[in-house]
Amino acid sequence: MKFSKTIELSVFGVIALAFLGIFFTPYDPHEQAFREIAFAGSSGQHWFGIDGLGRDFGSRLWRGSGNTVAMACAAMLLNLALSSLLLSVEQGGPSWASRIVRLTIGLWVAVPVILISLVLLVFLKPSPGSLVLAAALGTVPFSFRQMRIHWLEQRNALYVQASKVLGADRRHLLTYALWPNLKPDLVGLLKLVFAICVLDLSGLAFLGLIGDPDFPELGAILRQNQAYLFRSPALVIWPGLILSALLLLVHSSSSTTASKSSR
Amino acid sequence: MLKNLSGKLLRFAFVYLVASLVLFTAVKLVPGDPVSLRLKRPDPVRVEQIRTELGLNDPLPQQYFHYATNFFRLRWGNSLISGRPVIDEMTEFFPATLELTLAALFVGIFVGIAVALASRWSRGIVLRKLAVVLGALGLTVPIFWLGLMFIVIGSLWLGWFPVGGRFDYSLGVPDGSGFLLLDGLRSGRADIFLSVLHHLTLPVLCLSLYPAALVCGVFRARLKDPRLLALVRALRAKGLSPAQIWFKHILFLLGAPIITVVGTNFGALLGGAVLTETVFSWPGMGRYLVEAVLNRDLFVVENGLLLVILLAFLVVNLADFLALVINPEARQK
Repeated sequence: MKFSKTIELSVFGVIALAFLGIFFTPYDPHEQAFREIAFAGSSGQHWFGIDGLGRDFGSRLWRGSGNTVAMACAAMLLNLALSSLLLSVEQGGPSWASRIVRLTIGLWVAVPVILISLVLLVFLKPSPGSLVLAAALGTVPFSFRQMRIHWLEQRNALYVQASKVLGADRRHLLTYALWPNLKPDLVGLLKLVFAICVLDLSGLAFLGLIGDPDFPELGAILRQNQAYLFRSPALVIWPGLILSALLLLVHSSSSTTASKSSR
Repeated sequence: MLKNLSGKLLRFAFVYLVASLVLFTAVKLVPGDPVSLRLKRPDPVRVEQIRTELGLNDPLPQQYFHYATNFFRLRWGNSLISGRPVIDEMTEFFPATLELTLAALFVGIFVGIAVALASRWSRGIVLRKLAVVLGALGLTVPIFWLGLMFIVIGSLWLGWFPVGGRFDYSLGVPDGSGFLLLDGLRSGRADIFLSVLHHLTLPVLCLSLYPAALVCGVFRARLKDPRLLALVRALRAKGLSPAQIWFKHILFLLGAPIITVVGTNFGALLGGAVLTETVFSWPGMGRYLVEAVLNRDLFVVENGLLLVILLAFLVVNLADFLALVINPEARQK
């Protein structure tokens, strides 16, 4: 099997496995059922040990990975919708609207995601939904710019001009000429946006901006276990390792998609 | 170039207007009365009196005008939590963040360039792959987790570095700018300087990973540019020594893209600083602002966030301008 295929399958497998954690975990990730063996190391029954509050740490990690991936997917889709809307206004709207969009994006790019989320959290309640909104808004300038580059590249390509000369209407042009060529670039971009959203969301959760401190999300789990850093470093090592592995896989997959489309 | 500069000034005014309006609206949307929050036993008469004193009973446009103009006059009100003037708290926390960020930037640029050069000219496979590893680590390892790992290794296992804090407060706080490295040097207190350096090491290493990865990536890509290689050959044919070629020509030429990439990512670096400060209990703006937002400390939020947003925007544009100044090609375009 080709390397790129293996990576794609691994990403799909890891994300599917993480999603499964939202619906199924070996133990209840919230129930403090093992308080008498708190901080116990890994065993046959509890592969990742028990956390400081007596919960099965493997179950919390699994549910946490599922929540992180689900939140990042929601942020990615919201980001795609917002960026597409802005791009359509910029490309198809009146010239003053295009200028406003370009100017806004130019200014927006300077503001880090954390600041955007802090501004949002001034009037929104800290919650997973607020973080999803913040991550989506924070990555809009990046995805808008990338989408714009790909769109302009394809829109002015010779094959599009040829299709126009042959009498293709807008719908035909979009469906049969532009979309098949835009798809690989967009898929690569989506993967990259997903990875950025995972990183941003877990960072914001680590800062305690997720609201419920007990919500199983990888960044929030890290924050909760930071107090046990010296007593049980494994409680801090595992969530970060899972996050890094997930990000490495998605980045590798995004790079292979990009190199395939550039070929 | 003058046109470019005036355009940037106009943009700055626009950012100021938009950011201040957004923050003002956000603060007005907060449920509850900020003055009642400040008083332990809110008496309606006293609340009304303080609201009038603070101008909170004025019409909204007038309130916005006061906020927007008072920001430049540095009249930022008092913190609702500590009761201290916001400007005093900022002058305490802001230098700490700036010191950390600038040190990380400096180390990041230095490491990035060194790794890129080593991987370009080394014959050993390990050094050649170092740039790839650095790039992957910079993009995929969450900075807050890396910080915790540094604490586990550097403080817990090796016992070489302190777990957190800015310096050993038993040595006494030196008077001056609030940049403790500089103040330690200026007052001739080597113990303070060394203590600050000791505390700074782990946070700086942690925060410098991202800029190092960025700089390394850009530098490495530029080193492969055939035009650059042709220039090196030409300079060598002219009889210049490798040191002259590198320090007088090539590094100067490669400076523009580095400035651009660092400038455009300064916002991300500030975000990283907030996380690093949380991990290492660093008393900086990041932690201060997060606490202010969570505690609804409205005057800190209004002015602190506006200050950081304007700073991020200024640095991006300053970098853009500097790149234009040192890169003749971009100037011609």
